[in-house]
Amino acid sequence: MLKMQNIRKSYRTDTIETHALRDFSLEVNEGEFVSVTGPSGSGKTTFLNIAGLLETPTGGQYLLDGQEVGNLSDSERSRLRNEKIGFIFQGFNLIPDLNLFDNIDVPLRYRGFNAKERRRRIERSLEQVGLSARAKHLPAQLSGGQQQRVAIARALAGEPRFLLADEPTGNLDSLMARQVMELLEFINEWGTTIVMVTHDPELARRAQRNIQIVDGQVSDLRQTIAQPEVAIA
Amino acid sequence: MIGYYISLAMRSLRGTPILSALMIAAIAVGVGASMTVLTLNYMMSQNALEHKDSVLYAVQLDSWDPNQAADTTNEIPWQLTYPDATALLRSDIPTRQVAMHRFGFTVNLDESELRPFTANTRVTTRDFFSLFDVPFEYGGTWSKEADTAAVQSVVLSKETNEKLFGGENSVGKIVKLNGEPFTVIGVLKHWNPSPKIYDLNNNPFADSEELYIPFGLHRKFGIYSWGNTNGWTSRTAEGAEGYERFLLGEHVWIQYWVELDNAEQREAYEQFLTGHIHQQKEQGRFERPLKFALSAPSEWLVLNEVLENDNRVLGWASLAFLLVCVINAVALLLAKFLRKAPEAGVRRALGASRNAIFTQHLIESSCIGVLGGLFGIVLALAGLTGIRVLAMGQADQIAAMNWEMMLAAVGLAILASILAGLYPAWRISRTNPSVYLKTQ
Repeated sequence: MLKMQNIRKSYRTDTIETHALRDFSLEVNEGEFVSVTGPSGSGKTTFLNIAGLLETPTGGQYLLDGQEVGNLSDSERSRLRNEKIGFIFQGFNLIPDLNLFDNIDVPLRYRGFNAKERRRRIERSLEQVGLSARAKHLPAQLSGGQQQRVAIARALAGEPRFLLADEPTGNLDSLMARQVMELLEFINEWGTTIVMVTHDPELARRAQRNIQIVDGQVSDLRQTIAQPEVAIA
Repeated sequence: MIGYYISLAMRSLRGTPILSALMIAAIAVGVGASMTVLTLNYMMSQNALEHKDSVLYAVQLDSWDPNQAADTTNEIPWQLTYPDATALLRSDIPTRQVAMHRFGFTVNLDESELRPFTANTRVTTRDFFSLFDVPFEYGGTWSKEADTAAVQSVVLSKETNEKLFGGENSVGKIVKLNGEPFTVIGVLKHWNPSPKIYDLNNNPFADSEELYIPFGLHRKFGIYSWGNTNGWTSRTAEGAEGYERFLLGEHVWIQYWVELDNAEQREAYEQFLTGHIHQQKEQGRFERPLKFALSAPSEWLVLNEVLENDNRVLGWASLAFLLVCVINAVALLLAKFLRKAPEAGVRRALGASRNAIFTQHLIESSCIGVLGGLFGIVLALAGLTGIRVLAMGQADQIAAMNWEMMLAAVGLAILASILAGLYPAWRISRTNPSVYLKTQ
């Protein structure tokens, strides 16, 4: 599903060059749930941005669903992002002056679906996250957990094959975090590949595989699904 | 997607009402000021006789003072002397020809309670109506004999007929002009071209005349001109006295137009004019080098500087003012768009391309332009109303906005707002979405 080989990403200012990712290689298979951990500044978010086609790597090769994406134009990358990738952010990133219905409508508009199809997908997504009754509410009228569920509904509406989650529970209390996590696991069971960046080791352990990033490189590839939870604890 | 972008734009405008109002006001003031001036310039440069540009010509003959050229743009007097006009009328080369000038009569009716009033009058030969496409409601023009003989006929404008006879068919009725009876032989439909190409040296933007009488009445009524009359000597009228001295002297006061349907006819007429000038030179007139001019309506408008250079400069100045307003709008749009950068970042993450973000924001600035244009039209209408009031009726024809200019105003506003929105829209479409996704 996702294959990165020797990915490099550096940011340059007048006086300093920062290497966010160095010879970063990783493969995520279809249907996997991978957690990405690492200290702040290790390159987790840069990896996520490159994986989500929001940034281009300085070097290396990135294959998404078998397609080399390094030489794609902005329009082609945007179309690919729209059709294949769903995003869930720590800060939810809902558009504040759009109601839930219109927020979920955003990626579907760029997909070019007709009004009937958009409505069908929006209503189904809201139903999946249990917020059908709140379609006309503004994000500010919801709790943090509900807002994150809307963000998940927005990501799901386009039926992406690949879900990128950046600290999806970072702004939530433990109860809501557990609910969101259960929702992500449920989504993964349907067959959606999920890569989740998190600081929370407990959440990371719930993924099938954990990747540790240190200084812009993969330092540890651990299979978590086979390990009994008590042993880790 | 255009409809979606428009709905987003309207939502965005409602979301920042003060900033949006400032931007709309900036565009509206710029458009209002420029459209006020551009409307005046546009209306001043209208040519109602454009379709006759290849056949209709104003005639000028240089009969002026040998020591000093005429004070006109081509140094030939705008008008002709009476002797020259009557001599030219004898030519049968033009398909149609008109000698004419402006005059005025006091008008009244016998056995009527209508108070006598002064009416602007055109003293003209019969071809005036056909040459300048003047439409008749009732009746028609006078006979050819009336161009040279004293026939007391009159053609009324539609407005004058309504004033005198309540708009009914008045052909055959008698009207008193300066106490003399004139028979109504025709009534015009509404006709009020602006500028009055046929008479540009007597306020080109004044209303057309209320009465039209035959050219052959000069000597009977001692008709002078109510328009511009310029002269440099009366020695050619030596021996003559009074009105006859005025008629025969070197006074230019007759406007002259001819219709020449093809190049051969024009060439023949030019030879005729050359012959006339040579003939006059032999009689001691036309002491300056041989010079005459035949000007089509569009050339006549330029020669007479109907649209003066001052107006052109003012037009450019108003566009410069609009540019200043656009620059202000650029700053306001930049502030507004950058404030919305996080939303653009989210949209990029959800599949919007840079082009989509650029288009969305350009459409938002276009919506501001449309609203600015509509308010600009209101301001321009107010400005033109002010000009009409200040001009006390002299600019009613030109200080008026037609549909074309209203559409032009909206077009100008959209163009201005697109120009204003280009840079801010480009800036926001180039921002790195990941920056805002993390920090939002």
